Amino acid sequence: MADLKDRVEGLRKAFEAEALKVGDAKSLEELRTAFLGRKKGHVTLLFEDLKTVPAEGKREAGRLINELKESVTVRLDAIEGQLSLAWPSVSGTSAEAKLDLTLPGRKKYVGAAHPLVLFQQEIENVFLGMGFTIEEGPEIETDYYNFEALNFPPHHPARDSWDTLYIKDDLLLRTHTSPVQIRVMEKKKPPIRIIIPGRVFRRETPDPTHLPMFMQIEGLVVDEGATFAHLKGTLEYFIRALFGEKIKVRFRPSFFPFTEPSAEVDIECIVCGGQDKSCRVCSGTGWKEILGSGMVDPQVLKNVNIDPEKYSGWAFGLGIDRTAMFAYGITEMRHFYENDLRFIRQFGAK
Amino acid sequence: MKISLDWIREFVTVDIPRQELLDRLTMIGLVADTVEERDGDAVLDLETYANRPDTLGHLGVAREIGAMLELSLKEKSWPLAELPQATTEIADVQISSENLCPRYCGLVVRDVPVGPSPDWLRRRVEAMGLRPINNVVDVSNYVLFATAQPIHTFDFGKIGGGKIVVRKAKRGETLKDLDGRTLELAADMLVIADESRPVALAGVIGGEASGITDATRDVFIESANFDPVSIRKTAKKLGLSTDASYRFERGADVGFAPQAALMAASLLTQMGGQASRGLIDVYPKPHKPKSVRLRLRRIAELLGVDVPESFVVEVLGRLGFRVEAAHKGSWRVEVPTFRVDVGREADLIEEVARFYGYDRIPSEFSPVRSFDLSVNRKRERLGRIRQTLLGQGFDEVINWSFADPEREAAAGSGLQPVDVQNPISSRASVLRTTLVPGLLENAAWNLNRGLEGVHVFELGNVFYWEGEKHREELRLGLVSTGLLPGAGWTSGPAETDFYVLKGALEALMEALRFEPFAFEERDHAYFEEGRALALLYKGQPVGCLGILRKSLAAAASVDRTVFAAEIDLTGLFEKTPKPFQYAPVPRFPGVSRDLSFLLDRGVAYQEIGKVLAKLNLPLLEGFELRDRFSGPSIPADKVSLTVRFRFRHPQRTLVAEEVDRVEQDIVGHLRSAMNIQLREGKIDNRTRAN
Ligand SMILES: [Zn+2]
Repeated sequence: MADLKDRVEGLRKAFEAEALKVGDAKSLEELRTAFLGRKKGHVTLLFEDLKTVPAEGKREAGRLINELKESVTVRLDAIEGQLSLAWPSVSGTSAEAKLDLTLPGRKKYVGAAHPLVLFQQEIENVFLGMGFTIEEGPEIETDYYNFEALNFPPHHPARDSWDTLYIKDDLLLRTHTSPVQIRVMEKKKPPIRIIIPGRVFRRETPDPTHLPMFMQIEGLVVDEGATFAHLKGTLEYFIRALFGEKIKVRFRPSFFPFTEPSAEVDIECIVCGGQDKSCRVCSGTGWKEILGSGMVDPQVLKNVNIDPEKYSGWAFGLGIDRTAMFAYGITEMRHFYENDLRFIRQFGAK
Repeated sequence: MKISLDWIREFVTVDIPRQELLDRLTMIGLVADTVEERDGDAVLDLETYANRPDTLGHLGVAREIGAMLELSLKEKSWPLAELPQATTEIADVQISSENLCPRYCGLVVRDVPVGPSPDWLRRRVEAMGLRPINNVVDVSNYVLFATAQPIHTFDFGKIGGGKIVVRKAKRGETLKDLDGRTLELAADMLVIADESRPVALAGVIGGEASGITDATRDVFIESANFDPVSIRKTAKKLGLSTDASYRFERGADVGFAPQAALMAASLLTQMGGQASRGLIDVYPKPHKPKSVRLRLRRIAELLGVDVPESFVVEVLGRLGFRVEAAHKGSWRVEVPTFRVDVGREADLIEEVARFYGYDRIPSEFSPVRSFDLSVNRKRERLGRIRQTLLGQGFDEVINWSFADPEREAAAGSGLQPVDVQNPISSRASVLRTTLVPGLLENAAWNLNRGLEGVHVFELGNVFYWEGEKHREELRLGLVSTGLLPGAGWTSGPAETDFYVLKGALEALMEALRFEPFAFEERDHAYFEEGRALALLYKGQPVGCLGILRKSLAAAASVDRTVFAAEIDLTGLFEKTPKPFQYAPVPRFPGVSRDLSFLLDRGVAYQEIGKVLAKLNLPLLEGFELRDRFSGPSIPADKVSLTVRFRFRHPQRTLVAEEVDRVEQDIVGHLRSAMNIQLREGKIDNRTRAN
């Protein structure tokens, strides 16, 4: 019995040693025959010998030999599997063996993310890298958050540029992502350093560059010592990250009720470079407006109980749709919402 | 606002090249959208801001240009041919709503020869895009566009009793306006009335009856100041917007009212009329000038640049502010009445910055003083969802949040939709309560354009009323119909089916680690009867999937079978999955056995799991369905399943006999609980390891 056990162990070791040397189908078959061959295989012979084992040890011996057989079989199958992958059975230079390697590759289809989502993520990543975090808020808002807290007095003509879709007298579809600024400042203390992406709604008659729903992203920094110079530096970096190192940027005065001073940010027209007087993108001015920005109006800070003498802030906002249109040369904003897959898939793997 | 450069030169000398002027105007915030050439003149279409009514006239723009070019405004005199008769002897002005009319100035010009305007005046009026009417009307337009102060001219002979009363309209009063419309006046509207009836809608439009005609001899000139909110409400309510109301609702210059009246009177007397002596100026509560503290330090703190003191004083002075040094580095600044936008230090700092030049402010990186360390789980999860579904071959779409109420009702979400009061169109007059109809429309759109299959998802909000409260809920919607993408030359096209969609949801729940989850047969209004599942997590439904009702698909002109799903992510994300922990990678080989058997059609596949769960089978690692078919070779009330069972012992290699025993155990129980029949001769008992 001890003798048989030793033989099983010896064969196992011998098999392992031989198995490592197998490099092709021929040597694999030789190994299989050597161990499992119907007449003279080492394991087959062990079963023959089992007949001579005394009855009391037969059961245990049988188990050992069965185990060996199973592990040898498994191992040989595994090697076979590997060999067939690494070495196709057809090789050589005969016409029959020729593989047409110019046939197209086989791609798994991966869905295409929506271009606005991709573009939004590109923007988010630039700001996440600068230590901003992402905040979101509701799409149905109150007049207070959407307008009043942002320094739009009731009945002020400034509201005309934010044409509003109403749900009830005091309830509306947010016209910008700015109400989230208020919501965040109400619950967090400075320093605040956030970006706010989201859907916004305006009562706009649809045309190539206006739709009643679009995507916006805005940013807000509130801290001691936040300056207009920081606004400039950060937004210039952002624009270069998006449009390339060499893009020209300019800041010019503008008006938003919730910032003071306010600035519009223009970038050089990447379509015509200011060379085409009839350019559809820049109307020949050479500049394309892409961002609104400014220092947070002290009244806005007061509205959320932040002391404007101690803290200052700056904010910016941009339309994701229009910026993406500019970046990709898209002339119709509605393409983003038609969801024609021939459009969307251009932005994914082809 | 149209600005004629020729007209600007009445107020300030501009002798720099035009392009340079336009560029520099842009950099102080006055952008000309277009420039129109008009016989030697250039008319700019200047963008103006809601807070800067002073730039709605040439004088205000000239003042900006003067500050920009460091030039003083020209002095201009407005000579008057006066009658010996005092205005107060001819006319009477009373304000009965002081809070809505802080100031009212007026005078009479007698014997005005009404007729065509002189050429210079016609040119001015035409430059503004208006048609010259007659000299009186043209003069009032001239003053408005020159100074941004609207004035109104009445045929004084038509003012009953020579009395001007500024009051609220009385119930039932109407006014036929200059354009011939009859306006129904509401009690909160401010009117100009004579002794008996309204003659003008204050600050908005004049009445036809008291308008200037060829028969007019005496003209009453009104130059007043009205409450912006009142004017705006009135104009909005009546659907009117005039050059006058546009200025008053933004805030006219209360200090300039007398001067504007005298300018008009001067021009009319130059045309032959004679003005009454002395202006009526009813100004019950004279405006107290606003005084604002400005600190040099604060300019640097907000802008991030040191602006020289002398520059600050100089530029504010040119803009009409009175600057007085208070302490060292601090001034008292008195705000002129035409700058209704300025009242705080920040407003003054903006003025300094505008003229100092935004381009001269340095660019600095905004320092990070502390990080917000809160974790945004939602974004991380949405990222995983997107990644999983894209990987499953679904394309992403974004649909309108608006919906057609009929389409919404047909879909049957069972939720009370939120109406939009003033929708863009009746077909977009509610907010969507489900993502499914939008996705179905995407399928229709793309199938109609030749695509053979559409497999799309959307992440977005739905909205509904829950009693008095509105709810906003983040949903995931999926639709799958037609051929699956990715067919190549080695494998032909395959049609999607219910299990493609179910598989996507399984992958999603696994990627989010919301396990274990379950499906349960449950009908839903979106789906055909008996063809829908609810997705459950922690025993709660979080979504549904199924075969879309044929009538819904047909209504969207889709004639293929459509599979759809909708998951309530707001609800799902409120639940907390068990923290994920890894399981050790197995050290010993396992064994798998494929078992083929017949199962009664009425018995659900998931019963296998239920039966096995009740047994104590430590060696059974898991099992998967490998094949399922039915057909002529098997009885009609049966299906054939091939299930692969995987066995493993954590501490040693399995022996064939022990696997045999467990296998027999499984077969025995499935046989008695589910009436399975092993397929004789079809049992693939080949042993595999993995
Ligand atoms: Zn261009």
